[in-house]
Amino acid sequence: MSAIGELSTMTRRKGPMTKEEKKANGRDNKAAYVFLLPWLLGLAVITVGPMLMSLYLSFTDYNLLQPPEWVGLDNFVRMFGDARLHNSLRVTFTYVLVGVPLQLAVALVIALVLDKGLRGLPFYRSIFYLPSLLGGSVAVAILWKQIFGTTGLVNQVLAMVGIEGPGWISDPNTALGSIILLHVWTFGSPMIIFLAGLRQIPVMYYEAAKVDGATTLQQFWRITLPMLSPIIFFNLVLQIIGSFQSFTQAFIVSGGNGGPSDSTMFFTLYLYQKGFGQFDMGYASAMAWLLLVIIGVFTAINFIASKYWVFYDD
Amino acid sequence: MPVNPKGEAVAPAPTTAGAPGSKAKRSTRKLRASALVAATAAAVLALTACGGGGGSDAKSADGKVELRFAWWGGDKRAQVTQAAIAAFEAENPNIKIKPEYGDWSGYWDKLATQVAANDAPDIIQMDEKYITEYSTRGALLDLSKYDVDTSKLDEAALDAGKGEKGLTGIAAGINAATILANPAVFQAAGVALPDDKTWTWEDFERISAEVTAKSPKGTYGAAAYGTDEASLGVWLRQNGKSLYTEDGKLGFEPSDIAEWWSFLKELSEKKAVPSASEVVEAEAAPLDQSGLATGKNGLAFWWSNQLPALEKAAGGELQILRFPSKTGKAADAKLWYKASQFWSASSRTKHPEETAKFINFLTNNVKAGEALLADRGVYPNSEVREAIAPKLAKADVKVVDFIDQIKSELGDAPAAPPKGAGAIQEIVKRYTSEVLFNRLSTEEAGKKAVDEMKSAIS
Repeated sequence: MSAIGELSTMTRRKGPMTKEEKKANGRDNKAAYVFLLPWLLGLAVITVGPMLMSLYLSFTDYNLLQPPEWVGLDNFVRMFGDARLHNSLRVTFTYVLVGVPLQLAVALVIALVLDKGLRGLPFYRSIFYLPSLLGGSVAVAILWKQIFGTTGLVNQVLAMVGIEGPGWISDPNTALGSIILLHVWTFGSPMIIFLAGLRQIPVMYYEAAKVDGATTLQQFWRITLPMLSPIIFFNLVLQIIGSFQSFTQAFIVSGGNGGPSDSTMFFTLYLYQKGFGQFDMGYASAMAWLLLVIIGVFTAINFIASKYWVFYDD
Repeated sequence: MPVNPKGEAVAPAPTTAGAPGSKAKRSTRKLRASALVAATAAAVLALTACGGGGGSDAKSADGKVELRFAWWGGDKRAQVTQAAIAAFEAENPNIKIKPEYGDWSGYWDKLATQVAANDAPDIIQMDEKYITEYSTRGALLDLSKYDVDTSKLDEAALDAGKGEKGLTGIAAGINAATILANPAVFQAAGVALPDDKTWTWEDFERISAEVTAKSPKGTYGAAAYGTDEASLGVWLRQNGKSLYTEDGKLGFEPSDIAEWWSFLKELSEKKAVPSASEVVEAEAAPLDQSGLATGKNGLAFWWSNQLPALEKAAGGELQILRFPSKTGKAADAKLWYKASQFWSASSRTKHPEETAKFINFLTNNVKAGEALLADRGVYPNSEVREAIAPKLAKADVKVVDFIDQIKSELGDAPAAPPKGAGAIQEIVKRYTSEVLFNRLSTEEAGKKAVDEMKSAIS
């Protein structure tokens, strides 16, 4: 019932194709590739080319100003002793493992509320979606900085009830938390997807459950969640991949340095600093490949685990 | 940006779940076909790539040369620099100068990328922290081989731009590390401004704490130091050490920097300087929103040439002070003349003569001086300095006078920052906040910071 469900069926072939079918297929394919050509060119030039280049650079010492020098696995070996890299991994994992589930939970709850046939649904949907469009933007990160600053809106409100709040984004103990909150706030995207998914669940299941005397909570656990699991899985995969690569929020909120005290030093931010701040592009490239492997492993785990909890109704 | 916008496009697909079988058939032979396309794409890529790369050859049909000129700085600098460009273009109608300017922090990321992409600006405003990095790696032009007159330059200023690759930078101005005071803050607190010829670090602490105590909440006697290495440099010099040695090593021990942080912590505990959180926030603020400009700090650490811009932002007069010393003698403040910035040229410029001509104009032409005045520090060319003296605004005069006054008190010129020195500020800043937030002891921070600094400049 979902794109991912289809993916899993696509790989299963049912019997050999006839000659006619093959021919038709070939024609179809050719036409498709002609139409895809602009995109494929873009992929080659903008994505694959630079990726191969960075793979090469990851085995070199490259300071941007002079030609790269081959150093083999040196960059990767250096990673083991780099405490700041380990810290950046810790920060990024915290961000992903806390931020993603939290964001999806919020998205699901809001989607459930909106799905109850609210009047003016398109309006609310747009309102809730708005942060998603803005959340990754520089403007909102700057706004965030103002709101959570020492004398920002949050602390002004807290002061009214007599609490002296910390400098949320300038205190190493709360800085990452406020960036996670910014991430959660951009729940609109998964919410829209959840809404679409909820609309797909046949009403008859709920009617039948009601007849059998199931409570709303039971209906949620027994019908909504299982039926929605492919969508949850889809959102989870997307969000995890995206969150590992988060950069903008931390860059802007911390003023580009991952501070205070490296508490918001995301992996990508450290990579950027290494590459462009410290002229260590070889190492930065190696870091990029480490990130790719990490994301790959996480996605693989996700897919393997999905067998045990994702329910395809087909 | 975690949200992949493609997600929404895929999601509505479930409506067509009726015919999965037909789609399943289309998945074969994908590989061979895509290999073909990939090969084509690669061929196209190879063809186009040959033509790419390199900066634009900006010599247009009418024989005009276009040069790109990059600098960092705020609005005021942009204005005066544009005026200097206009004066140059009026004299040289065949050369057009295209300005590219921005913030300090973004500037270096951008420059590194541009140089790597073989797309460096022709004229580059350089800093002493980076000039060795760029020049030893061959990115900067040896200006001594071109027609740039350096005979009128102060010797110290000229030497600052010399390195193993020749004269790769010409000082754009002279400045000094200073403490700027906002008299309005002192007045409001009812505290007298310190006498900078006799004050010690103890005075600094006492006076700052007093201003804080007598000011409204959120206003502090002094800004915290520790957000860059300049104030560390002063501290070290007063203690007989230095940031760097002549052979490009670190000139101090972990215990030296630990001591510097201990004093900062003391200042913080006595509320002479803002809280740790406020210090972190202040780091990110641009010049015109700095604590000194907004009247939240009575004293702050700045370069002398920044006074006019800060006065403009503060909307009132500021005063330049010498650094405090350990002994209370001005000569022990160990200040020095620094080349505020350098004019450098890209070694890959397609028009070295024209580039040199422009740098020569900036350095030696009175018209350039009349436009730039003291924004980049005191003019290193003595003739231009004299010629523009009557045109200086009140704020500029203060800067020039200060530079003159301290001449007899200066310490030895410090060693030039070695390759990799651009990373030092970030290290200082990070460990300062570790210390202020009590996450590391000053000794631990000193040890770790020095380790990192050593590997940055090795």
